[in-house]
Amino acid sequence: MEFFKKTLDPNIALAIIAFFDIFLFLIVGAWTVGGGETMMTGLIAKFFMGDAINNIPFWQLVFKPDAGYWKIYISLGMLFGAIVGAVASKEFFIRFPRRLSEWVMITIGGLLMGIGIRLAFVCNVSTFFGLTPQLNLGGYLAISGIIAGAWVGSLIYKKSLGM
Amino acid sequence: MSVLGECLVAFLFGSIVGLLVQRSRFCNTAALRDAMLFKTYRNTKALLVSMMILTLGFTGFMTIGEGKAMHFDVGLNQVVGLFLFGIGMVLAGACTVSTWVKAGEGNFGAVWALLFTFIGMFLFSLLWSFMYWPPAPAAMTGEFNLEALQLGYANASTLQEKTGIPAIYFGILQFLVLFAIYKAIRRKEQRIENEIT
Repeated sequence: MEFFKKTLDPNIALAIIAFFDIFLFLIVGAWTVGGGETMMTGLIAKFFMGDAINNIPFWQLVFKPDAGYWKIYISLGMLFGAIVGAVASKEFFIRFPRRLSEWVMITIGGLLMGIGIRLAFVCNVSTFFGLTPQLNLGGYLAISGIIAGAWVGSLIYKKSLGM
Repeated sequence: MSVLGECLVAFLFGSIVGLLVQRSRFCNTAALRDAMLFKTYRNTKALLVSMMILTLGFTGFMTIGEGKAMHFDVGLNQVVGLFLFGIGMVLAGACTVSTWVKAGEGNFGAVWALLFTFIGMFLFSLLWSFMYWPPAPAAMTGEFNLEALQLGYANASTLQEKTGIPAIYFGILQFLVLFAIYKAIRRKEQRIENEIT
Protein backbone atom coordinates (compact mmCIF):
# COMPACT_ATOMS: atom_id res chain seq x y z
CA MET A 1 0.00 0.00 0.00
CA GLU A 2 1.40 3.37 -1.14
CA PHE A 3 0.46 5.04 2.17
CA PHE A 4 3.01 2.90 4.03
CA LYS A 5 5.78 3.31 1.45
CA LYS A 6 6.16 7.08 1.29
CA THR A 7 6.43 9.73 4.00
CA LEU A 8 3.19 11.69 4.25
CA ASP A 9 3.28 15.47 3.84
CA PRO A 10 3.00 16.80 7.45
CA ASN A 11 0.74 19.65 6.25
CA ILE A 12 -1.79 17.08 5.02
CA ALA A 13 -1.39 14.91 8.12
CA LEU A 14 -1.90 17.82 10.50
CA ALA A 15 -4.84 19.17 8.47
CA ILE A 16 -6.58 15.78 8.79
CA ILE A 17 -5.79 15.65 12.51
CA ALA A 18 -7.20 19.18 12.94
CA PHE A 19 -10.39 18.11 11.16
CA PHE A 20 -10.87 15.16 13.54
CA ASP A 21 -9.88 17.30 16.53
CA ILE A 22 -12.84 19.57 15.77
CA PHE A 23 -15.14 16.53 15.98
CA LEU A 24 -13.46 15.47 19.22
CA PHE A 25 -14.01 19.02 20.55
CA LEU A 26 -17.73 18.66 19.82
CA ILE A 27 -18.03 15.21 21.40
CA VAL A 28 -15.76 15.10 24.46
CA GLY A 29 -13.23 17.95 24.29
CA ALA A 30 -10.17 18.98 22.30
CA TRP A 31 -7.05 16.82 21.89
CA THR A 32 -4.79 16.73 24.91
CA VAL A 33 -2.13 14.35 26.20
CA GLY A 34 -0.89 15.67 29.55
CA GLY A 35 -4.16 14.98 31.39
CA GLY A 36 -4.21 11.36 30.29
CA GLU A 37 -0.57 10.90 31.26
CA THR A 38 -1.29 12.36 34.70
CA MET A 39 -4.18 9.97 35.19
CA MET A 40 -1.93 7.07 34.14
CA THR A 41 0.63 8.26 36.70
CA GLY A 42 -2.10 8.23 39.36
CA LEU A 43 -3.25 4.75 38.39
CA ILE A 44 0.33 3.40 38.39
CA ALA A 45 0.96 5.05 41.79
CA LYS A 46 -2.29 3.55 43.12
CA PHE A 47 -1.24 0.12 41.86
CA PHE A 48 2.03 0.29 43.78
CA MET A 49 0.88 2.28 46.82
CA GLY A 50 -2.66 1.00 47.29
CA ASP A 51 -4.81 3.15 49.60
CA ALA A 52 -1.70 5.05 50.75
CA ILE A 53 -2.15 7.26 47.68
CA ASN A 54 -5.14 8.82 49.45
CA ASN A 55 -2.63 10.45 51.82
CA ILE A 56 -1.35 12.61 48.96
CA PRO A 57 -3.88 15.46 48.59
CA PHE A 58 -3.06 16.01 44.88
CA TRP A 59 -4.58 12.64 44.01
CA GLN A 60 -7.76 13.56 45.88
CA LEU A 61 -8.21 17.23 44.98
CA VAL A 62 -6.76 17.53 41.46
CA PHE A 63 -6.67 14.10 39.84
CA LYS A 64 -8.58 11.27 41.47
CA PRO A 65 -7.28 8.07 39.80
CA ASP A 66 -9.98 6.83 37.42
CA ALA A 67 -9.42 4.26 34.65
CA GLY A 68 -12.52 5.56 32.84
CA TYR A 69 -10.91 8.95 32.13
CA TRP A 70 -11.19 9.34 28.33
CA LYS A 71 -7.93 11.25 27.88
CA ILE A 72 -5.91 8.14 28.82
CA TYR A 73 -7.20 6.41 25.69
CA ILE A 74 -5.96 9.12 23.35
CA SER A 75 -2.39 8.28 24.41
CA LEU A 76 -2.99 4.54 24.16
CA GLY A 77 -4.56 5.09 20.75
CA MET A 78 -1.51 7.09 19.60
CA LEU A 79 0.74 4.24 20.70
CA PHE A 80 -1.44 1.72 18.85
CA GLY A 81 -1.64 3.83 15.68
CA ALA A 82 2.12 4.36 15.70
CA ILE A 83 2.77 0.61 16.11
CA VAL A 84 0.43 -0.13 13.18
CA GLY A 85 2.14 2.52 11.02
CA ALA A 86 5.66 1.44 11.97
CA VAL A 87 5.02 -2.29 11.48
CA ALA A 88 3.12 -1.84 8.18
CA SER A 89 5.85 0.40 6.78
CA LYS A 90 8.63 -1.86 8.11
CA GLU A 91 9.96 0.96 10.28
CA PHE A 92 9.62 -0.84 13.61
CA PHE A 93 13.06 -1.37 15.16
CA ILE A 94 14.07 -1.75 18.78
CA ARG A 95 16.71 0.93 19.32
CA PHE A 96 18.44 2.39 22.36
CA PRO A 97 20.21 5.70 22.94
CA ARG A 98 23.93 5.05 22.37
CA ARG A 99 25.73 7.58 24.54
CA LEU A 100 25.49 8.17 28.28
CA SER A 101 24.90 11.87 27.60
CA GLU A 102 21.75 10.96 25.63
CA TRP A 103 20.40 8.94 28.56
CA VAL A 104 21.09 11.86 30.90
CA MET A 105 19.42 14.41 28.59
CA ILE A 106 16.36 12.19 28.08
CA THR A 107 16.06 11.58 31.83
CA ILE A 108 16.27 15.28 32.71
CA GLY A 109 14.05 16.17 29.76
CA GLY A 110 11.38 13.66 30.79
CA LEU A 111 11.38 14.91 34.38
CA LEU A 112 11.08 18.55 33.28
CA MET A 113 8.22 17.67 30.92
CA GLY A 114 6.33 15.89 33.70
CA ILE A 115 6.83 18.68 36.24
CA GLY A 116 6.07 21.35 33.63
CA ILE A 117 2.81 19.74 32.49
CA ARG A 118 1.47 19.46 36.02
CA LEU A 119 2.56 22.94 37.03
CA ALA A 120 0.91 24.45 33.95
CA PHE A 121 -2.17 22.16 33.85
CA VAL A 122 -1.46 21.91 30.11
CA CYS A 123 0.98 20.22 27.74
CA ASN A 124 2.22 21.27 24.30
CA VAL A 125 -0.73 19.54 22.62
CA SER A 126 -3.40 21.34 24.62
CA THR A 127 -1.46 24.58 24.10
CA PHE A 128 -1.28 24.40 20.29
CA PHE A 129 -4.27 22.18 19.44
CA GLY A 130 -6.72 23.14 22.18
CA LEU A 131 -6.30 26.32 24.20
CA THR A 132 -4.86 28.71 21.61
CA PRO A 133 -7.37 27.88 18.85
CA GLN A 134 -10.09 28.48 21.48
CA LEU A 135 -8.46 31.91 22.05
CA ASN A 136 -7.93 30.91 25.68
CA LEU A 137 -5.65 33.31 27.55
CA GLY A 138 -3.80 30.28 28.94
CA GLY A 139 -2.79 29.31 25.41
CA TYR A 140 -0.92 32.58 24.84
CA LEU A 141 0.73 32.38 28.26
CA ALA A 142 1.75 28.77 27.55
CA ILE A 143 3.09 29.61 24.07
CA SER A 144 5.27 32.38 25.50
CA GLY A 145 6.62 29.90 28.05
CA ILE A 146 7.22 27.04 25.62
CA ILE A 147 8.99 29.26 23.06
CA ALA A 148 11.31 30.65 25.76
CA GLY A 149 11.88 27.13 27.11
CA ALA A 150 12.56 25.66 23.66
CA TRP A 151 15.05 28.47 23.03
CA VAL A 152 16.93 27.75 26.29
CA GLY A 153 16.71 24.02 25.55
CA SER A 154 18.10 24.62 22.05
CA LEU A 155 21.09 26.48 23.50
CA ILE A 156 21.82 23.53 25.81
CA TYR A 157 21.26 21.07 22.94
CA LYS A 158 23.59 23.11 20.67
CA LYS A 159 26.28 23.09 23.33
CA SER A 160 25.93 19.34 23.80
CA LEU A 161 26.41 18.85 20.05
CA GLY A 162 29.46 21.10 20.10
CA MET A 163 27.83 23.46 17.56
CA MET B 1 -22.25 9.94 26.04
CA SER B 2 -21.32 6.95 28.21
CA VAL B 3 -17.83 6.59 29.73
CA LEU B 4 -17.18 3.62 27.42
CA GLY B 5 -18.28 5.65 24.40
CA GLU B 6 -15.98 8.53 25.38
CA CYS B 7 -13.04 6.16 25.81
CA LEU B 8 -13.71 4.50 22.44
CA VAL B 9 -13.94 7.84 20.63
CA ALA B 10 -10.70 8.95 22.31
CA PHE B 11 -8.94 5.71 21.36
CA LEU B 12 -10.10 5.97 17.75
CA PHE B 13 -8.94 9.58 17.55
CA GLY B 14 -5.60 8.70 19.14
CA SER B 15 -5.10 5.82 16.69
CA ILE B 16 -5.64 8.14 13.71
CA VAL B 17 -3.22 10.67 15.21
CA GLY B 18 -0.60 8.01 15.96
CA LEU B 19 -0.79 6.63 12.44
CA LEU B 20 -0.65 10.04 10.73
CA VAL B 21 2.13 11.38 12.93
CA GLN B 22 4.16 8.20 12.41
CA ARG B 23 3.71 8.34 8.63
CA SER B 24 4.40 12.09 8.36
CA ARG B 25 7.25 12.26 10.89
CA PHE B 26 5.64 15.34 12.38
CA CYS B 27 7.20 16.47 15.63
CA ASN B 28 6.12 19.41 17.77
CA THR B 29 9.58 19.64 19.33
CA ALA B 30 11.13 19.92 15.88
CA ALA B 31 8.55 22.58 14.95
CA LEU B 32 10.13 24.88 17.53
CA ARG B 33 13.70 23.55 17.84
CA ASP B 34 14.44 23.29 14.11
CA ALA B 35 13.06 26.75 13.43
CA MET B 36 15.30 28.23 16.13
CA LEU B 37 18.40 26.13 15.60
CA PHE B 38 18.50 25.09 11.95
CA LYS B 39 16.13 27.61 10.33
CA THR B 40 14.12 24.78 8.79
CA TYR B 41 10.33 24.99 8.99
CA ARG B 42 8.85 21.70 7.75
CA ASN B 43 7.11 20.98 11.07
CA THR B 44 6.47 24.63 11.95
CA LYS B 45 4.36 25.12 8.80
CA ALA B 46 2.32 21.97 9.53
CA LEU B 47 1.71 23.19 13.08
CA LEU B 48 0.50 26.56 11.73
CA VAL B 49 -1.79 24.88 9.17
CA SER B 50 -3.50 22.84 11.89
CA MET B 51 -3.80 25.85 14.20
CA MET B 52 -5.45 27.87 11.41
CA ILE B 53 -8.04 25.14 10.76
CA LEU B 54 -8.65 24.61 14.48
CA THR B 55 -9.03 28.32 15.18
CA LEU B 56 -11.81 28.66 12.60
CA GLY B 57 -13.42 25.36 13.62
CA PHE B 58 -13.38 25.92 17.36
CA THR B 59 -14.40 29.59 17.33
CA GLY B 60 -17.06 28.84 14.71
CA PHE B 61 -18.73 26.30 16.95
CA MET B 62 -18.14 28.40 20.08
CA THR B 63 -20.07 31.21 18.38
CA ILE B 64 -23.21 29.07 18.39
CA GLY B 65 -22.51 27.71 21.88
CA GLU B 66 -21.30 24.28 20.77
CA GLY B 67 -18.17 22.35 21.73
CA LYS B 68 -16.49 21.49 25.00
CA ALA B 69 -13.96 24.23 25.60
CA MET B 70 -11.20 23.75 28.19
CA HIS B 71 -12.28 25.51 31.35
CA PHE B 72 -9.82 26.41 34.11
CA ASP B 73 -8.10 29.47 35.54
CA VAL B 74 -4.79 30.48 34.04
CA GLY B 75 -1.86 32.46 35.32
CA LEU B 76 1.86 32.50 35.95
CA ASN B 77 1.93 28.70 36.24
CA GLN B 78 1.25 28.32 32.49
CA VAL B 79 4.30 30.42 31.62
CA VAL B 80 6.65 28.75 34.11
CA GLY B 81 5.30 25.24 33.51
CA LEU B 82 5.59 25.39 29.74
CA PHE B 83 9.00 27.05 30.07
CA LEU B 84 10.21 23.96 31.96
CA PHE B 85 8.36 21.74 29.49
CA GLY B 86 10.00 23.54 26.53
CA ILE B 87 13.49 22.89 27.92
CA GLY B 88 12.54 19.30 28.70
CA MET B 89 11.15 18.46 25.29
CA VAL B 90 14.25 19.73 23.48
CA LEU B 91 16.55 17.80 25.83
CA ALA B 92 14.45 14.64 25.52
CA GLY B 93 14.15 15.13 21.75
CA ALA B 94 10.40 14.49 21.88
CA CYS B 95 7.19 16.07 23.11
CA THR B 96 4.08 14.39 24.52
CA VAL B 97 2.99 13.17 21.07
CA SER B 98 6.32 12.02 19.70
CA THR B 99 7.21 10.11 22.88
CA TRP B 100 4.16 7.86 22.29
CA VAL B 101 4.76 7.65 18.54
CA LYS B 102 8.49 6.94 18.84
CA ALA B 103 7.74 4.39 21.56
CA GLY B 104 5.43 2.72 19.05
CA GLU B 105 8.34 2.56 16.59
CA GLY B 106 10.44 0.64 19.10
CA ASN B 107 12.50 3.60 20.35
CA PHE B 108 13.48 2.79 23.94
CA GLY B 109 14.73 6.35 24.51
CA ALA B 110 11.12 7.52 24.06
CA VAL B 111 9.88 4.89 26.54
CA TRP B 112 12.52 6.15 28.98
CA ALA B 113 11.36 9.76 28.44
CA LEU B 114 7.76 8.68 29.09
CA LEU B 115 8.76 6.87 32.26
CA PHE B 116 10.50 9.97 33.59
CA THR B 117 7.60 12.19 32.52
CA PHE B 118 5.42 10.02 34.79
CA ILE B 119 8.02 10.25 37.58
CA GLY B 120 8.16 14.05 37.12
CA MET B 121 4.38 14.22 37.41
CA PHE B 122 4.42 12.13 40.56
CA LEU B 123 7.16 14.28 42.11
CA PHE B 124 5.11 17.37 41.33
CA SER B 125 2.06 15.78 42.95
CA LEU B 126 4.08 15.51 46.18
CA LEU B 127 5.25 19.12 45.90
CA TRP B 128 1.69 20.34 45.16
CA SER B 129 0.45 18.55 48.25
CA PHE B 130 2.66 20.85 50.34
CA MET B 131 2.13 24.17 48.57
CA TYR B 132 -1.40 23.77 47.07
CA TRP B 133 -0.43 25.91 44.06
CA PRO B 134 -1.58 26.35 41.37
CA PRO B 135 -5.14 26.22 42.76
CA ALA B 136 -7.05 22.94 42.48
CA PRO B 137 -10.05 23.04 40.10
CA ALA B 138 -12.51 23.34 43.02
CA ALA B 139 -10.62 26.41 44.33
CA MET B 140 -10.64 28.24 40.98
CA THR B 141 -12.79 31.38 40.90
CA GLY B 142 -12.65 32.33 37.21
CA GLU B 143 -11.64 35.82 38.32
CA PHE B 144 -8.37 37.74 38.66
CA ASN B 145 -6.65 36.54 41.83
CA LEU B 146 -3.35 38.26 42.58
CA GLU B 147 -2.64 36.24 45.72
CA ALA B 148 -2.75 32.97 43.75
CA LEU B 149 -1.04 34.57 40.71
CA GLN B 150 -4.08 33.74 38.59
CA LEU B 151 -5.58 35.88 35.84
CA GLY B 152 -8.90 34.05 35.73
CA TYR B 153 -10.63 32.49 32.75
CA ALA B 154 -10.97 33.97 29.27
CA ASN B 155 -11.52 32.49 25.82
CA ALA B 156 -13.47 33.11 22.60
CA SER B 157 -16.80 32.53 24.37
CA THR B 158 -16.10 35.02 27.17
CA LEU B 159 -14.93 37.54 24.53
CA GLN B 160 -18.27 37.06 22.75
CA GLU B 161 -20.21 37.49 26.00
CA LYS B 162 -18.33 40.64 27.02
CA THR B 163 -18.19 42.41 23.66
CA GLY B 164 -21.29 41.11 21.91
CA ILE B 165 -19.10 40.38 18.87
CA PRO B 166 -19.41 36.78 17.59
CA ALA B 167 -16.42 34.60 18.58
CA ILE B 168 -15.77 33.67 14.96
CA TYR B 169 -14.66 37.26 14.20
CA PHE B 170 -11.91 36.96 16.80
CA GLY B 171 -11.11 33.55 15.30
CA ILE B 172 -10.76 35.07 11.83
CA LEU B 173 -8.41 37.69 13.27
CA GLN B 174 -6.20 34.98 14.81
CA PHE B 175 -6.40 32.98 11.57
CA LEU B 176 -5.05 36.00 9.66
CA VAL B 177 -2.16 36.42 12.11
CA LEU B 178 -1.25 32.72 11.80
CA PHE B 179 -1.56 32.94 8.01
CA ALA B 180 0.76 35.98 7.96
CA ILE B 181 3.37 34.00 9.95
CA TYR B 182 2.96 31.08 7.51
CA LYS B 183 3.43 33.38 4.51
CA ALA B 184 6.50 35.00 6.09
CA ILE B 185 8.05 31.55 6.55
CA ARG B 186 7.26 30.62 2.93
CA ARG B 187 8.86 33.88 1.70
CA LYS B 188 11.96 33.15 3.78
CA GLU B 189 12.17 29.62 2.38
CA GLN B 190 11.80 30.88 -1.19
CA ARG B 191 14.54 33.46 -0.61
CA ILE B 192 16.88 30.69 0.60
CA GLU B 193 15.90 28.44 -2.35
CA ASN B 194 16.66 31.30 -4.77
CA GLU B 195 20.04 31.93 -3.14
CA ILE B 196 20.96 28.25 -3.52
CA THR B 197 19.90 28.08 -7.19
